[in-house]
Amino acid sequence: MSDVTKSQGEDEVITLAVAAGVSERRQARKESWRQIRRRPSFIIGVVIVTIWVLCALFPDAIAPFDPLNYRAELNQPPSGDHFFGTDKGGRDVFSRVIAGARDVLKIAPLAALLGVFGGVILGMLMGYLRGRFDTIASRIVEAFISLPVVLLGLLAITTLGNSNWVVIGVVATLFTPIVARTVRSAVLAERDLDYVTSARLRGESGAFIMFREILPNVMGPIIVELTIRVGYAVFTVATLSFLGAGPPPPSPDWGAQVSDNYNSIVAGFWWSTFFPAAAIASLVVAVNLIADAVQSVLGDS
Amino acid sequence: MTADQTRTGAALEVEDLKVVYTVRGIDREVLRGVSFSVAPGEAYGLVGESGCGKSTCAFAAVRYLPRNGRIVGGHVRVGGRDVTSMSQKDLQDFRAREASMVYQDPAQALNPTLRIGAQVTESFLLLGQKKAQARASALEALRKVRIADPERVMDRYPFQLSGGMQQRVVIAMALACNPKLLVLDEPTTGLDATVEAEVLDLVRVLRQESDAAVVMIAHNLGIIRSLCDRVGVMYAGRIVEEGPSGEVFDSPRHPYTVGLLRSLPRHGAHKTESALATIPGILPQIGTPLPTCVYVDRCPLADDVCQTQVPPKVPIADRGGFALCHHSDRIPEVEAQLDAVQISVLSPSDDSPDVLELSAVSKTFHQRGHDIPALVGVDLTLAAGDTLGIVGESGSGKSTLAKTILGIEAVDDGGVVALDGSELAPATNDRSADSKRAMQMVFQNPDSALNRSWSVRRILVRSMQKLTGIGGEEANTKVEALAAHLRLTPRHLDLKPRQLSGGLKQRVAIARAFAGDPRIVVCDEPTSALDVSVQAAILNLLASLQSENKTSYVFITHDMGVVRYLADRIAVMYLGRIMEIGSTDQIFDDGPNHPYTEALLSAVPSVDGEVRTRIPLAGEVPSPANPPAGCVFHTRCHRLVAGLCDVTEPEPIELAPGHLSRCHLDAATLAQPVKPPASVSG
Amino acid sequence: MRRFVLKRIGSIAITLWLLATIVFVFVNVLPGDIGRKVLGPTAQPADVAAFNARLGTDRPLIEQYVTSMRRVFTLDFGESFQTGGPVTDLVLPALGRSAKLAILAFVITIPISIAAGIYAARRQDRLADRVTVNIGLASTSVPEFVTASVLLAVFAVQLQLGKVYANVPEGTSFLGQLDYLLLPALAMVVSYFGYIARMTRAGVIGALHADYTRTATMKGMDPGQVMRRHVLRNALAPTITVISVQIGYLFGGIVGVEKVFNYPGLGTMMLNAVGKKDIPVLQASVLIVGIIYMLSTLLADLVIAYLNPRVRLEAGR
Repeated sequence: MSDVTKSQGEDEVITLAVAAGVSERRQARKESWRQIRRRPSFIIGVVIVTIWVLCALFPDAIAPFDPLNYRAELNQPPSGDHFFGTDKGGRDVFSRVIAGARDVLKIAPLAALLGVFGGVILGMLMGYLRGRFDTIASRIVEAFISLPVVLLGLLAITTLGNSNWVVIGVVATLFTPIVARTVRSAVLAERDLDYVTSARLRGESGAFIMFREILPNVMGPIIVELTIRVGYAVFTVATLSFLGAGPPPPSPDWGAQVSDNYNSIVAGFWWSTFFPAAAIASLVVAVNLIADAVQSVLGDS
Repeated sequence: MTADQTRTGAALEVEDLKVVYTVRGIDREVLRGVSFSVAPGEAYGLVGESGCGKSTCAFAAVRYLPRNGRIVGGHVRVGGRDVTSMSQKDLQDFRAREASMVYQDPAQALNPTLRIGAQVTESFLLLGQKKAQARASALEALRKVRIADPERVMDRYPFQLSGGMQQRVVIAMALACNPKLLVLDEPTTGLDATVEAEVLDLVRVLRQESDAAVVMIAHNLGIIRSLCDRVGVMYAGRIVEEGPSGEVFDSPRHPYTVGLLRSLPRHGAHKTESALATIPGILPQIGTPLPTCVYVDRCPLADDVCQTQVPPKVPIADRGGFALCHHSDRIPEVEAQLDAVQISVLSPSDDSPDVLELSAVSKTFHQRGHDIPALVGVDLTLAAGDTLGIVGESGSGKSTLAKTILGIEAVDDGGVVALDGSELAPATNDRSADSKRAMQMVFQNPDSALNRSWSVRRILVRSMQKLTGIGGEEANTKVEALAAHLRLTPRHLDLKPRQLSGGLKQRVAIARAFAGDPRIVVCDEPTSALDVSVQAAILNLLASLQSENKTSYVFITHDMGVVRYLADRIAVMYLGRIMEIGSTDQIFDDGPNHPYTEALLSAVPSVDGEVRTRIPLAGEVPSPANPPAGCVFHTRCHRLVAGLCDVTEPEPIELAPGHLSRCHLDAATLAQPVKPPASVSG
Repeated sequence: MRRFVLKRIGSIAITLWLLATIVFVFVNVLPGDIGRKVLGPTAQPADVAAFNARLGTDRPLIEQYVTSMRRVFTLDFGESFQTGGPVTDLVLPALGRSAKLAILAFVITIPISIAAGIYAARRQDRLADRVTVNIGLASTSVPEFVTASVLLAVFAVQLQLGKVYANVPEGTSFLGQLDYLLLPALAMVVSYFGYIARMTRAGVIGALHADYTRTATMKGMDPGQVMRRHVLRNALAPTITVISVQIGYLFGGIVGVEKVFNYPGLGTMMLNAVGKKDIPVLQASVLIVGIIYMLSTLLADLVIAYLNPRVRLEAGR
């Protein structure tokens, strides 16, 4: 299509032709959004996420039992009373799965947002300033990246103690260098473009060039990165929680539920592990389906 | 059917070929019924502006279309076999034995991970040769494309070769099967002028040794004229005119061909004598329905007949070929109309004071502990209202010179860049607001130069505010006036750059440069990304802005026609040094020239069919990190004086008043013609 | 080439130093009083002081830092809080067991996912491609412990295939070991399949659209030859990078898998150390994982340099 937009002759008729071009382009943008909205994977992702958001917002309206204090007979299989059965403490698994959405949906997006925020600032400075600052910052970023997030998170939360804010802070801190690396490479490509030179020729400050000139042009990759990070944050929080470094008890967090009950699988009580595990899987996959669709539209076009 | 097409024994016959590209589910017509034929041993050129379908035509001929492209009608026959209906297996065999192609970007066309030897040998293995035999054939093939040391080259990887060498290798592979059909798709675009000339020389020689039908795609009309027997001029997916190339370019019979040719700066035209012709309107978008004449919307001759009836192929009796036009007999009217608008826009510049002065300007880059001198001891002056053209091949330092003048790169200690006699700080940031305002730049690629998330209005208003200090509504009013002056409508102001055509984008970039009433505008190849008809409009605009505002230009280009049209003085650069500087007349007409300039000028294929003695340059451009001792040009010079040029670096000598040459030879010696070389060297 | 390797090793040393510093900050600076942290709020102040004195955690931070860095570069990580014995005696055997699991996982993953990636690329945008891409997306998104617990429930418990406890008894034959290790390895296969397959697909599609592929096709080669001779060599570099990164990162996921299958590898040991606040063991494990990551990316760079002459010939300069 580049041929279409490339150089064309011009004169008085320009105005007409431009008008035609505009409507066509607007249509094109609308068209691509319609295409992503039509993707079955995107629709599935949005539907699943919406369901979990509703569960997080109104757990009492959906869950039939108190997730923490209600007790029934232990380890009952799924039935009309207990859709997902009961766990080894006699609690209703269905109600606990519903209630478990809340913490992860609070922590993961917030951690991702903070991590992306930090990463954008750091990556922008690295890419724009280059030179010594970039060299040193790149080294530190590399050091962070050389460890899996879950391990560093486990280490940090072990020494800091687990609270929701510690989990958010640690995950955000560990995401910052990852996002910074992505933003840096996007900014490096931008800053070699001539509009940046032109801004310098008219005497613009570095801050103006970074945040007014360059930032709007790298928003695409940043939004893609944000959706991807939300998916990873859910993944990370669930894993940390399974390993005992998630939101503190008595939160009915999904990862913690799996951790509490996986030992009873051997006795045949698969449901108390399976349903929270499936909940994690459904949320992570849903977020990633959305991220994939967003990337296919906003990504490297 | 005309006589041309029924010609018997055509090697390639394209008949009513229709190709569509499917974009977002909609079929867009790229070729709207293209017919032509090429005889064995004949070279046929396809020319036209971007989007006209010439490359699609070339790829359709070998049935290699992008995933979304489809042949929906017509036939392609090579040696009588229909390529459009071949089975996959036959197609493979056809490509292996009968058709070959040479591509635009040789660096990309070669596999970066395989040695040259493996890639060339492979072509012969595919013909069924045994390993040892194929290797011997590969060596022979490389020798045939004038590669001096084929054993060594076989052992190299593509990235270790220069662009010219890479393209020779691609040509060697293309000729491996002694093809019946050879398609050359912009084979020299992106190569430097002297390298381009060598590759074209090679193609010319090889054509004589083969009876392949050659189809050559180029946007450079000079190349087509110098290489092709016949030419087809394409517009919006059709061939609108066809005929012997010299005659088509000398006496075109289709209004589009006339417009195209007249928008080129030709026959030594200069801005002070005439404006360039432009074609009204814009190229139609790909796939726009054009049921009758494809050119009707832009044609000065268009009338009711053109609007309602498909034009016939009108044979041109006196020269062969045809024009796809109802009114090909009324071409003189078009010419006369164009002549009528040929008004001179400028009075020749008088003895104006100098605004810009460079003395002993050098720029050295440091890379991995090595010094790389990109500019060495440049002295020059620029008078008010004058244009200084800077020409040279890649690596000559012309862009570095521009950046150093503007302070984007800081000049080395000891060099002086002075504006109106006062020295400027080396870096832009340290310069005063006034001197920033005084010097602005127009870039090569408007897509890169304009912030794509800003509206045109914001781009211009910001520059106006920042450069002049005018704020608010006043800036906006002034921007609207400026835009109107550059023929941008208020409506354009609220668009984003990507919603504009290439020419309009470049207008915006020029408007931005002029927002602060600059004294000097540095233009870095401002038209090289544009089609010729758009280029003409931009060059006219630059010329008229200059004559109104007395602005001085530093105009960097590799296009000799453009620099001859626009520049008052010209500096020729090689390896960071100015080799020759003089007035445009001195460089192009009066002579004598520095040997490098001489070679550079001889390399340009002329659309006017002027015959020049080609002076081939030996070897390759040395690395700036490691320049030759003595005169930096001595390793390639055809006038080399051994023992002098390779020892002592010459000082500039005055060939005539204001005409300096950095060469040991004096004017009289340089004026002697050189012996034409025995053979083209590799 | 030797200079290239030496340079990369030098840069690894710097990264390792930075990583060790980061870890030092996490475990020694942020928590404050280590003895109090380990012994808990009810411990006697005298005991806490004695504990800190024994470990040197009462020394000035700078001194602790220097000691800590010296230990990292001599691969001596001090003594475990729990056992009092050298950390390396604990960590190395556990690492060996984890490595066995990891190697098995990658031996299965790499061929399957590369083949799937190539297959999908050749059918770009068709059904087979979409299915592969989406399976890949789903499989990588799901945390390893989730996959592991589902595999455990379905195969080990319901279908009675594979062992519930992966802890291999001493002296088990090679095939017998597979019976224990296959399920946990499979959990990791599922997780890494997607990354590698998707990256391979992207690389192959990129190379299929490259001009040199067009040249090869126009020479009259058949599509299989084009793929083998021209496409794959160029397409696999990003895949190799991804594999090397996954090898380093697998130790994030292996912790969960080992926990589900009660496998006594590095992950299980780290979780024990977390429970006991055995910071030296934790620190050592994390640094060793970092070293493994760096070595595996170094190896990947060497393989890429071998495949791509441009990297090879210019890297040494």
